[in-house]
Amino acid sequence: MRSPVRIAPIIWLGFFLIVAATGLAQRRGTSPKTSSGSAFDTTARIVAAAQAFLASLDDAGRARVQFGFDDGAQKARWSNLPSPMFERKGIRIGDLTPTQRAAQTKLLQTALSADGYRKVTEIMSGDEVLRTNQRGGGPRGGAPTPGGRGRGGPVFGQDEYYVAFLGTPSTTTPWMLQYGGHHLAINLTLSGSQASMTPSLPATQPATFTIEGREIRPLGRENDKAFALINALNDDQRKEVILGSRVADLVLGPGQDGRTIQPEGIRASALTAAQQTMLVELVREWAGIMTDAFGDPRMAEIRTNLPQTYFAWSGPTTNGSAAYFRIQGPTLVIEYAPQQGNVDHIHTIYRDPTNDYGAKFARK
Amino acid sequence: MTTVPSSRASSRAGCVLALTIALVGSVDVSAHRRDEYLQAARLAIDPAAVQIELDLTPGIAVAEAIIADIDRDRDGLLSPDEQRTYGRLVFGALELAVDGRPLPLELGVFSFPDPEAMRRGEGTIRLRSAATLQPLSVGAHQLLFRNRHQPDRSVYLANALVPESDRVAVTAQRRDGDQRELIISYLLRPAPATSPAVWLLSSLAAVTVLAMLLMGPLLLGSHRPRHDSLC
Repeated sequence: MRSPVRIAPIIWLGFFLIVAATGLAQRRGTSPKTSSGSAFDTTARIVAAAQAFLASLDDAGRARVQFGFDDGAQKARWSNLPSPMFERKGIRIGDLTPTQRAAQTKLLQTALSADGYRKVTEIMSGDEVLRTNQRGGGPRGGAPTPGGRGRGGPVFGQDEYYVAFLGTPSTTTPWMLQYGGHHLAINLTLSGSQASMTPSLPATQPATFTIEGREIRPLGRENDKAFALINALNDDQRKEVILGSRVADLVLGPGQDGRTIQPEGIRASALTAAQQTMLVELVREWAGIMTDAFGDPRMAEIRTNLPQTYFAWSGPTTNGSAAYFRIQGPTLVIEYAPQQGNVDHIHTIYRDPTNDYGAKFARK
Repeated sequence: MTTVPSSRASSRAGCVLALTIALVGSVDVSAHRRDEYLQAARLAIDPAAVQIELDLTPGIAVAEAIIADIDRDRDGLLSPDEQRTYGRLVFGALELAVDGRPLPLELGVFSFPDPEAMRRGEGTIRLRSAATLQPLSVGAHQLLFRNRHQPDRSVYLANALVPESDRVAVTAQRRDGDQRELIISYLLRPAPATSPAVWLLSSLAAVTVLAMLLMGPLLLGSHRPRHDSLC
């Protein structure tokens, strides 16, 4: 017979194993904690990248790039228009040294998903196409050109984008990364494990171009997925979704913060499961610009609100035509608007009427 | 700030890109509206009022004509009086009616951009107004909005905003093909009844006040010296 003294360690070991196994099982079973942890890690990586960029600047540069988190004027300082027609503040990318520029690129790559980063860089490449095609051409980076910098006319190109911070990059308190220029506005608010990327404005002109023989369509998937969805609807559904009037522009574009228009079109609850999936995948083109740790919960929220989400369309339904569409739900507004009937010039807007500029985080 | 000359700032990748871009056809380098006058209206319905926001953005090709309409004395400046006169002109071309009864529209707050901004196609004129509604019955109503300002050169947007009041629910929006006309169908719900708890507390308070008023003289009277005995 074994003595109690020899049995005790075995009992303790068994107890320890049970506790450890239970803890492990609980940890695996609670995906929100895992997800939250992952989001915290992502925030930490973005903060580190932001701090590295800030460290690459001198004092004057840091002063120029930094704004208060509650600076309402700076929050709203974004537009589809090029500089200097629209005056942006922050640091112009073209004024950065190669080292600073590399740190800024790393920050964008960390803050956005791979697809989001692709979209942003392709939009900027489109602007480079405009610069090359601009009458009089001219060197990149601010040299006066006919109708260009110094005369108030538009200046195009990859250098004409600006970065700014609202608040101090932090893993705990809210702050915002602003990045934008002609046809681009990214307003990414981070608060601990949460993030919001609304309002944002991905747009493009031209909508199709080639670089080294490769065809580039910065917003091509948005276009193709939308036309696939409208053509997947039956006649009765189309009667509900198609507005009987021309929509000439974005309704809730720049300068329309805080407004919510009455939803129109067909409710997603009236779509088949396959059509709903197509709608969700269309929304992902905007919601997925954020890095996955934040984009995934945002998509989960959009799926939850899907029964109260509407899809509206104006214009022809043949792919390649200039058509406007809108997706609107309790926490979502997306608009896609070809400009003046030109399929090669697209403006879009992405909003969350409940959480633009991370309003929910700031309230906390 | 540590900066480099712009020519140096251009990344090598950017230079390669610039050299290797092959355009698909010719790109119209237009950053903004050209030959259209965008008139965007938003209407907010309350139980007792209708608010109108009208944003007017002239395109580059029409800006000079619009500026000429505003700048009556041709001094190159848009004075407050000229702005007000133009705002009234615009509002004179608007029509607003509820259930067929016209609503008078008066120009409220307005702001005008710098003429240069308009010439670049980026300036927006912002006009605001609020029309008071006569008390309406609970139930279905229709609001008509029609914009007849500058039809030859304009494109229009007209939308209902989500009502702030829970008493108003927009049920449909119908427009003509150009959005010059918008008919908003909406329901006006009854004013919310006061909750039972509020009724109970109010009744208790009323009874208490009434009791104090009635009993007060008696209570006070019991402590008063009886002057009549002095007589």
